[in-house]
Amino acid sequence: MDNAFYITASELAELGYENTPDELMSAEHLIYSSPATLAFNSPGAQGFGVKRAGLAVPGSVMLLVSPGCCGRNTTMQSRLCGYQDRFFYLLLDDTDIVTGRHLTKIPEAVREVCEFCEKKPSAVMICITCVDALLGTDMDRVSRKCEELAGVPVVPCYMYALTREKKLPPMAAVRKAVYSLLKPQKRHSDAMNILGFFAPLNDDSEIYELLTGAGIRHIREISRCEDLAEYEKMSQANFNLVLNPEARYAAQQMEETLGIPYIEMMRMYHIDKIRNLYRSLGNAIGAEFDDEKYYTQAKAAVEGFKAEYGKLNFAVGEFLNADSFELAWALISYGFTVSEIYGTVGERNFVFIRKIAKLSPDTKIFSNLSPTMLDYEPSGKKIDVCIGNDAGYYHSDVPAVDWNEERQPFGYAGVKLLFEKLDEALKGGAK
Amino acid sequence: MKNLLKLLSPFAPDQSGAVGVLYELGGLVVICDAGGCAGNICGFDEPRWFTKKSAVFSAGLRDMDAILGRDDRLIEKTAKAVGQTSVRFTAVVGTPVPAVIATDYRALRRMAENKTGLPAICVDCTGTRLYDDGEQRAYLELFKTFATQKYETVKGKLGIIGCTPLASGYMTEKIFRQAYGNSAVCFGMGCGIDEIAKASECERNIVVSTGGIAAAEYMKQQFGIPFETDFPITEAMSRVLENDLNGRKILVVHQQFAANKMRELLKQRYDCDVDVATFFKLFDEFKQDDDEQLGDEEQLVNKVLGGGYDAVVIDNICNRALRQFDGELIDLPHFAVSGRLDENGGQTCLL
Repeated sequence: MDNAFYITASELAELGYENTPDELMSAEHLIYSSPATLAFNSPGAQGFGVKRAGLAVPGSVMLLVSPGCCGRNTTMQSRLCGYQDRFFYLLLDDTDIVTGRHLTKIPEAVREVCEFCEKKPSAVMICITCVDALLGTDMDRVSRKCEELAGVPVVPCYMYALTREKKLPPMAAVRKAVYSLLKPQKRHSDAMNILGFFAPLNDDSEIYELLTGAGIRHIREISRCEDLAEYEKMSQANFNLVLNPEARYAAQQMEETLGIPYIEMMRMYHIDKIRNLYRSLGNAIGAEFDDEKYYTQAKAAVEGFKAEYGKLNFAVGEFLNADSFELAWALISYGFTVSEIYGTVGERNFVFIRKIAKLSPDTKIFSNLSPTMLDYEPSGKKIDVCIGNDAGYYHSDVPAVDWNEERQPFGYAGVKLLFEKLDEALKGGAK
Repeated sequence: MKNLLKLLSPFAPDQSGAVGVLYELGGLVVICDAGGCAGNICGFDEPRWFTKKSAVFSAGLRDMDAILGRDDRLIEKTAKAVGQTSVRFTAVVGTPVPAVIATDYRALRRMAENKTGLPAICVDCTGTRLYDDGEQRAYLELFKTFATQKYETVKGKLGIIGCTPLASGYMTEKIFRQAYGNSAVCFGMGCGIDEIAKASECERNIVVSTGGIAAAEYMKQQFGIPFETDFPITEAMSRVLENDLNGRKILVVHQQFAANKMRELLKQRYDCDVDVATFFKLFDEFKQDDDEQLGDEEQLVNKVLGGGYDAVVIDNICNRALRQFDGELIDLPHFAVSGRLDENGGQTCLL
């Protein structure tokens, strides 16, 4: 086979999730970390990997305990993201790996790091990797020893790439870790937390106004907490709103230890579905949201764009602030064409593949990670515009919107912003 | 504490060095990891990833693959990928995961050869060692596997061993050709596996990275090809020479052969004392009296502060560790240290 593997939406929908071809299942083939995928498929290459995410606790520092190779990309991360003073490394040698003797060095290393810092850290996050996953290290025990010696809270973060498809993959585990320092306190009926991301939602998202209108005065996100005191107030929340399924386990943990219930809400780009989600959220918290204004604005943005550009043909990637298949389905529903999607097929998003199959049976579905993508060449219907850094890589001569900013788009405002960015890209503006 | 880095980040590991050697040879390279190591190599340590396609893949190991030692599954996946790409050989590069579970690379190699029908090599990397160790292992495996036949010596043909971006800061062979002539063949850069197979044609080998010494010695032993060490004069070196360093005591920190070249150039231009230090391999036969191998950032600080130096020529990412030094710090990028290429003026090369 010389060409990149793909399957059409109708073929895949017919096969069903259980019979998804091996080429679309990353566990069944070698993984191609093409330039298109590095940003999301490499731990910490861009955005929030385990290491950067672990530093979400305000004032914390991280000690990475691993062979040197695991900390290599942090050179870049430290420099670009201003984390130079927050990352420390205890490098393992061959003997450490064989004997596990590094475990006895960690408490002393934590103490030395704390003494080295100009200001005592609020917490030390200890990040361990595949080596300790295989050694079966009890890092909770080691962390307790560290706390005794250094006098600061110490939290383990597990960067276990080996467990990526498990129930608690690394990015879900690190979300649990960053909320684990919260202590039970009196809950306030006018306080809630938004969980799911390591950067805030865009300020103009209507969700803030809708929630405030429902009487919620304190909407907290970990990335908006400027200090530990603000972070600690997160345990006053009356409920947690989970916007990213990777935060579900953190929410469950908070329900168990802090008594804070949670509600899940998916980020979507189909405006009718957004309206349904707000209705469900309103029902859950006993409020009625008046979202008409925002709905109308978002609808106008879509229709205005369509009137100006007509039935454009999209390629949708997966390194973006969206579920590739939901976004593609939304675009098709709005009357556009999506001829190519590069995404990871899962049980959860298969529902959108079925919907796409009905509206656009010939849409091609590729897996970014398949070795056959080494041979990918654009073919078939000409793509007019790409969404996603990876899609932009495959169609480098086509206008593209990266749509992967750290600040998170959400709701109707997210839809509006997406079409504004598409308009900018098509007019030759910045990505 | 030894091995505790408070000011510097880890340097390029052995698996990155091995992949750097294999990258352009036309093989299918499988990094035997869960995905993170391949991501680091492709996204950080291999700048050619963004300009030149190569069949470098991650094994995508999962916990049960490691726990149960499912090598057969790895070979199945490798064979499948071989069927989907055009490659001449396969190579498995180790990482911490196979190091922990003590993977039997000889068995893996035999299994790969039997299943794919292509020659196979395995490079035993652990992720705990540095890039020049991985280069050394990869070059040696390559020459032992492919350079088995004695070809007639081609007059004037030079073999350059060690020209990788990690060691040199250059992504193409141009600078080596400029330095050593167009008849020079840069093993692993600008040529494929056929040139490795015909390596015995070379009249002489020039080793430009410490990772190339073992292979050069092997070629000398097998085919009587003599070798010497050298390094081309780079743009960054020329910039260093623009500083007035007369009468100064200078420390140059880089990989040994680049640092030796810098010393040679400094001494030609100025009346100065120059020592060499390196975080990587330091060969006794190519060192001078006060040259030193540095184990970690603490040893760097001790060497700089205790050596009475007026100037230190070093990748500027290390400046953080040398805040107490009141002499002059002059930048000499080393890709394996900072991810900064020399050929783009010392800018970080990424995405």
